[in-house]
Amino acid sequence: MAGIEIRGLRAAYDKADVLHDVSLNVAPGQITCLLGSNGAGKSTLIRAILGLTPPHSGQILLEGEDITGLATHKVIARGIAAIPEGRRMFPKMTVTENLRLGAFQVTDAALIRQRLDTVFATFPRLAERRDQLAGTMSGGEQAMVSIGRGLMGGPKILLIDEPSLGLSPLYVKENFRIIKDIRDQGITVFLVEQNVRQTLAIADYGYVLSGGKLVAQGPAADLAGDEAVREAYFG
Amino acid sequence: MDFGLIAQYLANGILLGTMYALVAVGFTLFFGVLDVIKFSHGDVLMLGTFIGFTAWMGLAAIGVTNPWVQLLGVLICSLGGTALIGAAIAKWLVLPLKKAPQLNTLLITLMLGTAIREAVRLFYPNGSNPKAFPALLPDAAVELGSFSLRADSVILVLAGLGLIGVLSLVINRTRLGLAIRAVAQDEETARIMGINYTLVVLATFAIGSGVAAFAGIMNGLYYNEINFGMGLILGLIGFSAAIIGGLGNLYGAILGGFLFAGLQVIGAALLPFASAYKDVFAFAVVIALMAWKPTGLIPERSSDRV
Repeated sequence: MAGIEIRGLRAAYDKADVLHDVSLNVAPGQITCLLGSNGAGKSTLIRAILGLTPPHSGQILLEGEDITGLATHKVIARGIAAIPEGRRMFPKMTVTENLRLGAFQVTDAALIRQRLDTVFATFPRLAERRDQLAGTMSGGEQAMVSIGRGLMGGPKILLIDEPSLGLSPLYVKENFRIIKDIRDQGITVFLVEQNVRQTLAIADYGYVLSGGKLVAQGPAADLAGDEAVREAYFG
Repeated sequence: MDFGLIAQYLANGILLGTMYALVAVGFTLFFGVLDVIKFSHGDVLMLGTFIGFTAWMGLAAIGVTNPWVQLLGVLICSLGGTALIGAAIAKWLVLPLKKAPQLNTLLITLMLGTAIREAVRLFYPNGSNPKAFPALLPDAAVELGSFSLRADSVILVLAGLGLIGVLSLVINRTRLGLAIRAVAQDEETARIMGINYTLVVLATFAIGSGVAAFAGIMNGLYYNEINFGMGLILGLIGFSAAIIGGLGNLYGAILGGFLFAGLQVIGAALLPFASAYKDVFAFAVVIALMAWKPTGLIPERSSDRV
């Protein structure tokens, strides 16, 4: 099982979302969460890991190997997958094509088919709508496609950026249950969220980001009562 | 007007439409993956046609006389060479300007087109004069009254339509096509899926340029003449066709190509004065169409790419 280690990361995306010297660990086989309000630097961190926003300084290590500044398709080839913020469907493609793109680097057709079947078994709703254009689906259904797409590549590590954004409470609950299942399958999860209570309920370890700096960290159960968490949002 | 003449105009229109569609799809593909207009497209087409012409002279010089073998050699050199040129332009001129305003890309490719055109005029042997392009296809004709259907025209149309079909299959049914469509719809998410963005852009420019070279060879075989300025008008027509069809939409570009050819033919057939005015007529209608439907006949939605 693979983990990510981030050392002294400085990066900036969209002037408002800046990271100052952030170091953290995404432990193998666990759900590590990163909490923080809008503009705290959460998205920049995800973008830096994915190679979309190369950092100014610092290091990103995957299983001990330096992947800092690597092109995105090479990061993905190392076994990382992402469920991006806002779900980011390819709107003019069918559900099946969207899922197929999640396994873009997989060339074994039988393996792709097998994973497709697994996704359809997890989300029977998607099986019914496999030929529907993703852009015409509801937010909840798009979230299913997005999660399924993230699993199609058979990742060792899954980065999940604000999965509860814009979803109804029922879907949020369902999504968090699925994220727990993903961890239980042995996939390392790095979960970035604003929703403190539900995130800490499923996470193993947590970090709190405020104004581009880490302000608290600890086992999820301890963080739930931490004053710094509340301050990061309201202070 | 008798049937034979109408059929003749129709056949001519289909051939021209196929040719224009092949140029227009390039504009649409480039715009799809990179949101840029590449104004050197027509002159790259001309360069590709001259590469084919040079290949033919080379083959004839070393004693290859079979026209089919010559044609094959011409197509391989022209399409292959032009595909490489297209990819090179993408790599060294268009991609480096990705973060610059789009106007800069437009300007740099406009200048590149002029440079290519002038270079061929000045440095190609006797480049300022038209070249007689060889008739490599059988020109037997079937006479139906006043309508004569020539074998070479039929072959050109079938080959051109076949290429459009292959292109459509590549875009819709292959892994490369999936990547091209993904990049066109959402570049960043395409990268997150593990798609090598740069490679997809280079492949797209190679495909679009190779297809345009085919249109150039078609043009040479049909008119039996090529010249350094041929890319200017073909590029402009291809660009207009892509715009009328709704830039970014593959089928719109094909439709636009046939529509433009249709306008030219109607202009040539119905206007009382000489057919020299057919382009004036066609462009005038395009201008009117654009005033009526500013975003093209098949308007592009932000999600409706390639």
